[in-house]
Amino acid sequence: MVQFIVRRLAVAIPTLLVIATLAFALLHATPGGPFDTNRKMPAAILKSIEAQYHLDEPVWRQYLRYLGELAHGNLGPSFQYRNTSVNELIRVGFPVDLLVGGLALLAALLVGGSLGLTAAVRRHTAWDYLPMFAASLGVAVPVFVVAPLLILVFAVQLHWLPSGDWRWGELRYLVLPVTALALPYVAYVARMTRGAAIEVLTSPYIRMARAKGLPQATILLRHALRPVLMPLVSFLGPAFAGVLTGSIIVESVFGLPGIGRYFLVGALNRDYTLVVGITVLYGALIIAFNLLADLAYAWLDPRVRLRA
Amino acid sequence: MSARIRAGGLLAGALLSCATLLAACGEQSSAPRGTAPAITVGTALAADQTVTRSLLDMPRTLDPSLLTDIYGQAVTDDLFEGLTTLGPDGRMVPGVATSWETSADGKQWVFHLRPEARWSNGDPVTAADFLYAWHRTLDPKTGSEYAQALGIIVGAFAIATGHAPQDTLGASAPDAHTIRIALVSPTPYLLALLADSFMQPQHRTTIERYGDDWTRPEHMVSNGPFVLRELIIGDRITLAKNARYWNAAAVHPSRVVYYPLDQVAQVSRYLAGDIQYADEFPSEQFRYLKDSLGAQVQTTPLLAIDQLGFNLLRPPFATNRQLRLALTMALDREVLAAKVRQGAEFPAYTLVPPLPGYTPTLPDWASWSDARRHAEARRLYAAAGYSLEHPLRVQLDYDTSESSRDLFDAIAAMWRTNLGAEIEPYNEEFRVLLQDLRLHKSLLFSENWTGDYPDPYTFLQLYQSGFDQNFSGLSDPAVDAPLQSGTNEPDVAARYADFRRAEGRLNEEADYIPYLYRGARHLIKPYLKGWQLNVLDRIPSRYLYVLEHEGN
Repeated sequence: MVQFIVRRLAVAIPTLLVIATLAFALLHATPGGPFDTNRKMPAAILKSIEAQYHLDEPVWRQYLRYLGELAHGNLGPSFQYRNTSVNELIRVGFPVDLLVGGLALLAALLVGGSLGLTAAVRRHTAWDYLPMFAASLGVAVPVFVVAPLLILVFAVQLHWLPSGDWRWGELRYLVLPVTALALPYVAYVARMTRGAAIEVLTSPYIRMARAKGLPQATILLRHALRPVLMPLVSFLGPAFAGVLTGSIIVESVFGLPGIGRYFLVGALNRDYTLVVGITVLYGALIIAFNLLADLAYAWLDPRVRLRA
Repeated sequence: MSARIRAGGLLAGALLSCATLLAACGEQSSAPRGTAPAITVGTALAADQTVTRSLLDMPRTLDPSLLTDIYGQAVTDDLFEGLTTLGPDGRMVPGVATSWETSADGKQWVFHLRPEARWSNGDPVTAADFLYAWHRTLDPKTGSEYAQALGIIVGAFAIATGHAPQDTLGASAPDAHTIRIALVSPTPYLLALLADSFMQPQHRTTIERYGDDWTRPEHMVSNGPFVLRELIIGDRITLAKNARYWNAAAVHPSRVVYYPLDQVAQVSRYLAGDIQYADEFPSEQFRYLKDSLGAQVQTTPLLAIDQLGFNLLRPPFATNRQLRLALTMALDREVLAAKVRQGAEFPAYTLVPPLPGYTPTLPDWASWSDARRHAEARRLYAAAGYSLEHPLRVQLDYDTSESSRDLFDAIAAMWRTNLGAEIEPYNEEFRVLLQDLRLHKSLLFSENWTGDYPDPYTFLQLYQSGFDQNFSGLSDPAVDAPLQSGTNEPDVAARYADFRRAEGRLNEEADYIPYLYRGARHLIKPYLKGWQLNVLDRIPSRYLYVLEHEGN
């Protein structure tokens, strides 16, 4: 197991290097630079700004410089937000994404898991049809429709919750963004849990357990839960990375100070360091969550052997 | 006495936000109407004088030497005060300067500073603080993107380009409360420039002590009506009233909170009552919001034009005046403004937007009936050598981030219907288009331009030979000569007459196609008072106040 983790982490480093290199190359290949505006600057000033950011050096040297800084965990200065480093932007913004994304996924697991399990146990009843109909809707309706609707109902009409903004430690600012982000995942989890649970509950060993007269709760929690969780685990790894990276719309609609928006605006403004920095961060997260998912898989299913 | 203002149909307003988003995916949604609580406004000041307003984007910096965006300008208008400052109506009024004199040739100015002006840490604001700021902006090491805007001062351009030492600047301080400025040419809009961020004073000891970090809330020292309290990138900027501001007694807001929000989010925040002033809403919601919110929707023409440019260095437009004239005459600007932009923008027949004191000469055909204009356009199109069998086929390049497809589809459809021309709108990302324009690769392109100061020259220079942003490549002595003489003319009336001549020539030659003047689109709560819309679209928070109200 330890060997497996060490090997996977060893592979992660060249992977991240490739990600950083590709992101760096793609951004530098895009026409236009970070300080292009429709008012052209005198050459001396442009030169001075470019020198401040080492943009006057050949690209290969900029690349090596960037890698050197990256190796020390320094993602460089943001081109777009003057006097601000990418590390600082991530330090301030990422915890917001982590909290909102983590809560959204937790809500998706608890609510979606319970709905899916109930639907599987009470197949072909209203307990099955209604949540599954809602789940189909949840998958189909995109977050940019759900989010404004939530604001409309709970902020504009009922005045129960704020329509956006962010205050650390105040739950009411979390409710709507977490709900908007969680809804599609609730739907996915519910449908996956239902499918897995139906398969497990009709398998011979569960029939055996029933025949032995075990109570329903024991069968579900002790014998059925683990195999039901299997497909969820392989879904959760990428999903966690997905909620963190895919929250751009939620951030934008609710005005949250997360890093997703920087990613988008940064690419448009050719903020090289910011975009490469966030890309590397997202890459590292995806690698980490996939590793965790593999480990959880091995823990849940004794038949799985970890081989790097 | 109190006025009741009904804010009905809010449900539909927010649904429209969804509908807008859905429309982007090719779907349509109808918007049912609902009701929302009415707002009752009293006449007394509210106990809480917190002003909440939005910005379309987060300022990239609050350093007056470095900022380039209008969002940063809005915040520094509150934090700093120049020699002049914005009045409630957007006109310049005395700021740190109490009075000024100018020489007969309009090139020498003397400003007298008010001795009671203080920085937020209690230090007196002196002439040296202004000179320090200007020198810092001009120093190539600072890397100010706006350094060239100081080029109106003698010696400034040479300093900014690294060709002359700092002490050659034509600005001096004979004593702590007097500033002398020598200008390259008479600049009637100097008083407007003096209120801009790059000419505001800066606190030297703070900057030298903290370096780049001086703009952080814990360090910043400012001299305006407000001080910086909190700055969270992507979330909000909070300002508090500056008790040491010389005119603090006239400032009502105790706190101002700016939220950077996209257009759709601004509408929902406003409808929920979380902001009192929305800076910009989607133009496609204009009609609807106007119907449901009435006088809360406020629009005004801006100092900004949407125009189409021709490549005048290459065929087919370079030598074919008739073709250019046919294309400009075939556009139905009233339809673009009223239907495509739903009344949120204004038809443009000439380059310079409405300015106090300047009356541009419109082309004759601007007042013709549609039928007559279309017929003449068809005649010119045929005379230019094009027909239904041999139509003009050109790509119209436009910038994705600033413009919307429907506008260019409408323009292309007008040319197809009225002339039979086959124009294909093609969108490019802003920086990609900019590169194409600099290389003169594009034949027909969209070019939106916002004026830097309230003077016709800020627009007319776009067609002056050698100007960096002259993307059309026009070089016409009949335009250059009056522009040259106008900029050297101290008398404003004579100066404007020269500019009218240059503008008239551009219109006569149809060297470009003006079509819309952009408009500001604000939502303002009925209990927020003290604002006056203006062509600069700068509404300083110091004049705002909140009345007692029920509902929000």
